[in-house]
Amino acid sequence: MPGMNSGLNPNDPTVVAAFKSALIHQGIIALLIFALLSLAWVSVREWSAATGAEAGRLARPAEPEPRWRQLLRIGFGILWIFDGVLQAQPAMAVGLPSQVIEPTAASSPAWVQHLVNWAGTTWSYHPIQAGAAAVWIQAGIGIWLLVAARGPLSRLAGLASAGWGLIVWVFGESFGGIFAPGLTWLFGAPGAAALYCVAGILVALPQRPEVSARLRRWMLPAIGLFLIGMAVLQAWPGRGFWQGSFRGQPGTLAGMVQSMAVTSQPSALSALVSSFGSLVRAYGFAVNLVAVTVMALAGVIFLTRRPRLVRPAVIALTAFSLADWVLVEDLGFFGGLGTDPNSMIPTALLVIAGYLALTSAPAAAEATAEPATPMASPPSAGWRERLKPTALRQSAAGSSARTMASVGAIGVIILGAAPMAAAQASPQASTILAQSIAGSAAPLDAPAAPFSLIDQHAKPVSLAGLSGRAVLLTFLDPVCVTDCPLEAQEVRQAGALLGAQARHVALVAINLNPAYNSPGYLQAFDRQERLTQVPNWHYLTGSPDQLRQVYRRYGVASQTLPAGSMLGHSDVAFVIDRDGRMRAELDFDPGPGTAATKSSWAAVLAGAVSKVLKQP
Amino acid sequence: MRTVRKAALVVLLAVLAAGCGSRVATRTQLPAAPHPALSLSTALATSAAAWATIPMGAPAGANLFWELFRMPAGGTRWALATPPDVATNGALVLTTRGGQTLVAGVRPSLHLIFSPVTGTSDGGKTWTSSPPQAGLANSPDALAVGPAGQLLALGSNGQADVNRPGSSGWARLTSARALAASTAGRACRLMALSAASYTPAGDPLLGGRCARPGVAGIFAYRGGSWQAAGPVLPGALAGQAHQVLRLTTAGGGNLALLQVGREAGGSLVAAWTVNSGKRWMLSPPLALNGAHPVSTAFSHNGAVAVTLSGGHAETITGATAQWQVLPALPAGRALTLAFPPGGGLDALAAAGSELTVWRLGSRPDAWVKAQAMKVPIQYGSSS
Repeated sequence: MPGMNSGLNPNDPTVVAAFKSALIHQGIIALLIFALLSLAWVSVREWSAATGAEAGRLARPAEPEPRWRQLLRIGFGILWIFDGVLQAQPAMAVGLPSQVIEPTAASSPAWVQHLVNWAGTTWSYHPIQAGAAAVWIQAGIGIWLLVAARGPLSRLAGLASAGWGLIVWVFGESFGGIFAPGLTWLFGAPGAAALYCVAGILVALPQRPEVSARLRRWMLPAIGLFLIGMAVLQAWPGRGFWQGSFRGQPGTLAGMVQSMAVTSQPSALSALVSSFGSLVRAYGFAVNLVAVTVMALAGVIFLTRRPRLVRPAVIALTAFSLADWVLVEDLGFFGGLGTDPNSMIPTALLVIAGYLALTSAPAAAEATAEPATPMASPPSAGWRERLKPTALRQSAAGSSARTMASVGAIGVIILGAAPMAAAQASPQASTILAQSIAGSAAPLDAPAAPFSLIDQHAKPVSLAGLSGRAVLLTFLDPVCVTDCPLEAQEVRQAGALLGAQARHVALVAINLNPAYNSPGYLQAFDRQERLTQVPNWHYLTGSPDQLRQVYRRYGVASQTLPAGSMLGHSDVAFVIDRDGRMRAELDFDPGPGTAATKSSWAAVLAGAVSKVLKQP
Repeated sequence: MRTVRKAALVVLLAVLAAGCGSRVATRTQLPAAPHPALSLSTALATSAAAWATIPMGAPAGANLFWELFRMPAGGTRWALATPPDVATNGALVLTTRGGQTLVAGVRPSLHLIFSPVTGTSDGGKTWTSSPPQAGLANSPDALAVGPAGQLLALGSNGQADVNRPGSSGWARLTSARALAASTAGRACRLMALSAASYTPAGDPLLGGRCARPGVAGIFAYRGGSWQAAGPVLPGALAGQAHQVLRLTTAGGGNLALLQVGREAGGSLVAAWTVNSGKRWMLSPPLALNGAHPVSTAFSHNGAVAVTLSGGHAETITGATAQWQVLPALPAGRALTLAFPPGGGLDALAAAGSELTVWRLGSRPDAWVKAQAMKVPIQYGSSS
């Protein structure tokens, strides 16, 4: 998929160090948010005795939260925090697009890949900000769910969970693979994030009696219907689940399990999963029969809504889910860059919550109106009234510790989302990509070596003649098949990034291949790289002796290699100021040449030139 | 009863939902297998040297390099002569005008979309670049050099361009579309161009594929217009479609290799010009029997060698001779036949960095290993 990833090594030390540094800095800020909120809250309560009385008057005893909702809120809160911690893995910043998103989308239809590619490209352009955003958004949602037990803030937490879950489901999980072949509940269908979404919606529902009554009636049957559908899919002929092996190759399920067994994980777990894979390969029909039976039976029982039958079915399905989680899904988060514990834990939480909803008696408290938020001012007050300093102080003083923690959690989410949103405002990739390929620019201050050559139109050009303009100087082989075309693109993009400044800049390349030194080759290269319309582009050449003299002066290598290889040469760029002084040297290896790295290099080059232009 | 109906509805919905998500096996029609293009592995010869080009290194991608080998007159060993300072991942297209002169065009590959052109007149010791061509066609005869050093190139865009000595660029000579619209082109219903050459007098020659049976698509540019210049095929061959596979110079004239008829039941015919290009002489047809030609080689005096799919090879020395079956070809991932200047026939077999030369000399019924060479391929240099 074009643009999906930066092509860098996920463990690239420069990016990993930057990612860790960003997480540490943002972590300190997150702690400060909570500390400041606590301090402000305690201070307001201490300083405003009258407000305290007011707060006491406003506060009403909280209604008990239904057990099913409590389970979902706390369960998925913990899961989100766990997912946030997984997102903080050092290789995640670079690795998520190439190691997680791209493989997940590979078997999906083209339109899904196209959609996912957009997200992968966005991530790959700003890996540090995107990686950190995922960490803090998920940790923030998790904390928010855990601390906000009741009221609008709690429902908002559910909504945030559903919203982010939807984003992860679409872009991170390629719709949970529902449009790809081989879909099976045993391996995670319809996607763990879809279950986070469902749980979030359930938490976000208004806590009114009629809603609770409907949930009691439909939650578990809906799960039952889903399970029956999955059972039919599992039993569908021709999908390979009934065969342990086929023509010497593992069947669909055995293949899935065996692929998990070989991923990196503790050896005991690997051995366990591997043994189960062998079992599935040997007794594929029986294993599938058990799976189909459990799913179908549980589904049918859930549809009956008879607690006497449902209870053992819930226990059995939960046990089955846990077994599947270990033996088939391999706990979900091992084997590289796991982002969540896959679908079985969320499924078990939803099933148990459905059972609790079914078996809970209608609470008398639910017959009353939804409780007022502890943060709220008197209901009659409009929003203008609520924003007045006095009202705010009263509101803060009257808020519970949970409410303040919720506000802190929202702050954590914003802490992650804001830098990513800011990064998105720039179409250029982060310069960290280019720095990871070639390091930072080396500052210099010495007269640049003179040269006098001809350009692509056979007109004489010299460094002295370019005086008054900053020069971005590179060395390019016109018949190069790899690096030089990429570098030319980066220089062209850098020129475009400079905008109005570009008229004070000459983009100069010197022909690095004396064997192909006619202006015709430079023109062909310019056409190939769409440089013919760049007014400040000068591609210079000369006789082999003239060119070699310039190479020597600039310390640039140009070496003939045998057997059909292109010329071996340096990848280097120089920035020369308006007075002809060398100001920076950049190792200009373009790296993997993806859209992200090209864009990053362009930003680095433009930044280096812009810096020189600003120097007195 | 109501519960039963509801349950049935639920099951029906579940089945439908599952059916929507499942993959249904469908019977799709496979497209017909495309006719394999003639390989650019080829060899040509002058009285002073033989040249052969063959792919080496990796089977495909950035580590596949086309290498050029040369054997001088009087020599018995091949030596690496690949032109320097240009990546040959896209293949070499060779042409010669006799003596030590060879011109090589490099087909586009990776990020390079035009064709560098370079030549040597001292047997590969030094190379001098010619102006770059817009992108040579995937044909062993996409480049031709005339008696005065002028170049004729067939581009992958269907255009034929010329470069005159001393000129800094290429000029449009014609295009497949324009030639098809000419009187000669209409007469054969020209479909595509596939080869370029020069007559001994220096007139540009183009070969192609005609839709009209019985007409060989060879055209000469004389007196400012294109004229049919191909041979007239006799008897049963006249009723079949023709395609020019090769068109080159050899033995003081032109040499063409034609494929006649459909691939499976088709045949190959070699044709040589005589009497200063005024007349063509044809070889007997070589029945392909379902095989297809893979690579070709020519000697300086007009002998032809063809390798066919299935490991077969045939050779013919001239119009009055018969096709001779060669012994089963030696193993090798890529293979080309070549006529050494001293006579006989070599098979150059490549596998990775190893080149093995097999010779058909003293024993005409078996290939004898004559040389082995490790080529210093720089893996990763184009990555």
